Amino acid sequence: MGRFVARRLLFTLALVFVVSSSALLLTRIAPGDVTAELGAFASPDEVAAVRARLDLDRSAVEQWAGWLARAGRFDFGASFLYNRPVRELVARAAANTAILALVALGIATALGIPLGIISGSRRGAAAAVIRAVSLVCLSLPPLLTSLLLVFLAATTRWLPAGGMTSVGVLDGRWSTWLADLAIHLPLPALALALPVAATFERLQAQSMTEALGQPFITAAAARGVAPRDIVRRHAWRVSLRPICGVYGIAIGALLSGSFVVEFVTAWPGLGRLMYEALRARDIYLVAGCAAMGGLVLAVGMVIGDVLLVIADPRLREERTG
Amino acid sequence: MLVLRFGGSDAPTPPAARRGGQIVASLRSEPRSFNRLVARDYATEVVTFLTQGRLARINRATFELEPWLAERWESSADGRTHTLHVRPGVTWSDGTPFTSADVLFSFQAVFDAKAQSVVASSLLVGGQPIRAAAPDAETVILTYAAPSGPGLRLLDNLPILPKHKLEAALASGSFPSAWNNTTPPAEMVGTGPFVLREYQPGQRLVFDRNPRYWRRGPNGDALPYLDRLVLEIVPEQNAELLRLQAGDLDLTSSELRPEDYVAVRDAEDQGRLRLIELGVGPDADAFWFCLKPEVKGKDPRFKYVQAPAFRKALSYAVDRDAFAETVFLGAAVPLWGPITPGNIHWFWPDVPRYEHGDKEALSWLASVGVAPRVADGVAVDEGGRGSVEMRFTVLTQRGISWYERGTAVLRDELAKIGIVLDIVPLEVGALIQRLLACDYDAVYYRPVMTDLDPAGNLDFWLSSGSAHLWNIGQKTPATEWERRIDTLMLEQAASIDPERRRQQFNLVQQIVAENLPALYFAAPRLYYAHSTRLRGVVPSVQRPAVLWSADTLSVTP
Repeated sequence: MGRFVARRLLFTLALVFVVSSSALLLTRIAPGDVTAELGAFASPDEVAAVRARLDLDRSAVEQWAGWLARAGRFDFGASFLYNRPVRELVARAAANTAILALVALGIATALGIPLGIISGSRRGAAAAVIRAVSLVCLSLPPLLTSLLLVFLAATTRWLPAGGMTSVGVLDGRWSTWLADLAIHLPLPALALALPVAATFERLQAQSMTEALGQPFITAAAARGVAPRDIVRRHAWRVSLRPICGVYGIAIGALLSGSFVVEFVTAWPGLGRLMYEALRARDIYLVAGCAAMGGLVLAVGMVIGDVLLVIADPRLREERTG
Repeated sequence: MLVLRFGGSDAPTPPAARRGGQIVASLRSEPRSFNRLVARDYATEVVTFLTQGRLARINRATFELEPWLAERWESSADGRTHTLHVRPGVTWSDGTPFTSADVLFSFQAVFDAKAQSVVASSLLVGGQPIRAAAPDAETVILTYAAPSGPGLRLLDNLPILPKHKLEAALASGSFPSAWNNTTPPAEMVGTGPFVLREYQPGQRLVFDRNPRYWRRGPNGDALPYLDRLVLEIVPEQNAELLRLQAGDLDLTSSELRPEDYVAVRDAEDQGRLRLIELGVGPDADAFWFCLKPEVKGKDPRFKYVQAPAFRKALSYAVDRDAFAETVFLGAAVPLWGPITPGNIHWFWPDVPRYEHGDKEALSWLASVGVAPRVADGVAVDEGGRGSVEMRFTVLTQRGISWYERGTAVLRDELAKIGIVLDIVPLEVGALIQRLLACDYDAVYYRPVMTDLDPAGNLDFWLSSGSAHLWNIGQKTPATEWERRIDTLMLEQAASIDPERRRQQFNLVQQIVAENLPALYFAAPRLYYAHSTRLRGVVPSVQRPAVLWSADTLSVTP
């Protein structure tokens, strides 16, 4: 177990290091820099001052080495766009994204897995409809899904059309804030969850169909076990293995933030922060967001591993040994 | 002394303005700072309009200078000395009296090298900082190093900051980071109509009415009318429009895109929105070649693009009416120079024009030895028999719909005379990098004039300027006509005779139109939409179109 934890920790550190360093260096060598934010024709003196402040007057390697030394002390530099420490910006945005991601993951799981079980274990109209809806959800680009949901919210007024909280809760109590957050969550969470739910549904359905074809299922049926029990008690557990495999990646991806969904629904999360940082070539902010993205991806993969082990006890020994 | 006297400023308030209520406006991005002296982004500018005052401000609707924190002034006959009288009874939002010491502090801060102010260059006269002195608490004397055409209009660039809150930061060298996004709102005081109550990063800025705001409405009632103003951060423009149509927003951060006009007009017909035409915008898209000889001198095409006759051919080749129709979906007027009809004080309607005609275009091309090749119609040198093809790569900004349409129309129009354009859309950062290095054949882009007064845009007009599009930062003027423009513009900027300034600037516009260093085709008409419950809107073609005058806004019950 100790070796497993140590291996995972090393992997996480390596992932964060590689992802953040690559992000910093790639952003640095890409055409254009953050001084474009000063306007197309800012004075040369002003441009030079900003470049010096952000170490852009040094070579890319020197800048990277300096950043790395500071990052070791948990100082990730300051954002030019927001004029604030990167650490503070990323932590706040990551917390907002985590709230959204967890709700989206809950919705995706609650929708995708049961529907996958149904469409994988039955034939007929219901399974066909589920399959068709899943394919539509998988095919729609996130930008379109998000805009569609914002449009629906704006026209029906059933839900707020964007944002994380309302102005009205400014003076409210903790419970008011929580209730307000709860009515803002469904729209972005659905936009995030629908394609993930569709992925879970397709995987679960495929896996369930395969499991139902296994000899031990035939044996159970021959023993007179009811079809519903065969699915629930025998086939489902076996069919979970591929789901658990992608679950970790889904957690990591959701926690890293979706810039499209967050951008369109005005959710102040990590994806939007990363997008704005990239667009402005705000190097240290890009590197900070990438580091957080790498970290949550690694955490997601650990969670995926744990779930896999729970779902299939045969793996426990080989994973932890 | 030439004496100018002004009374108090009358707010253009509609009848029956109701006190109270709140409005929600949108912003696409967050302010980079709450200190306008160190940040020039649009969000910071909007926040400054809401929270701070200036000694004198330019009315964005009439473009006239009007008294603000200074209630009146006198100017010397040579235009170099201005004595301003601070409006009595004005206090900062925390109750501290506003005095001439705050004005002196603001001038000190803006010109302090440690403050790294982005405003300083706009307050130089004759290359020198404005000197400020305060003989008493109510009087400020400003001395210019040279006569200045814009005169006191320069003061619109300087929000007056509170000495009692920022003096220590200036002294310690921390002024550039003072009043940043982590500063508690209570620490930031102002003389504007609103005070920042709360900043929720990534979400919104909430402003409450400044109960100590000095300005009164026409009936003597205290302004602003609104109790609260909220700026929601909505980064995506389609979502912003949807939220406006749904009633979540009362105002958007910018004018409508041409493609949104029909949808908003439908919403207006249904009584959900009010659509207003702001007028012709003061800025227009430009098309220009890199004309820097030291960069492009060895390019065989440079010989042609540097010839005004070649550029005249291009100007003749474009049907501006069709351009306005296609690119701006009809919401634009044809244009022949950098000054649009939206700049009512400086637009010259008699600027030389090149009415569309392919024959004229081909004739001007022929005058420089270029003609379409018989085999494929591509324009080449030696009267159509040479090997130097007139094929150019045009850079533009990615993701802007009218840039995409504009470059496509230009490509089609110029193809008719054999000029081939390859369009390359780039991210704005990459585009600016190439633009500053003159690493391009041609560019299609909208340079924004920072000031409607041409003397405020010397960086564009002067050959040494950092915004002299086609040949930035020349040590000496590369052409005779640029030398003439330099002379005229410097004289114009230093003249205090308005009629003489106008004549000189008309001449500048004529020289530009004759030499066409940049080609202009159409100036967009700007449209803006707001909720029907909003009252007291004083629209402007300049940004922010409505919030520049937020103190007169009110809402119906």
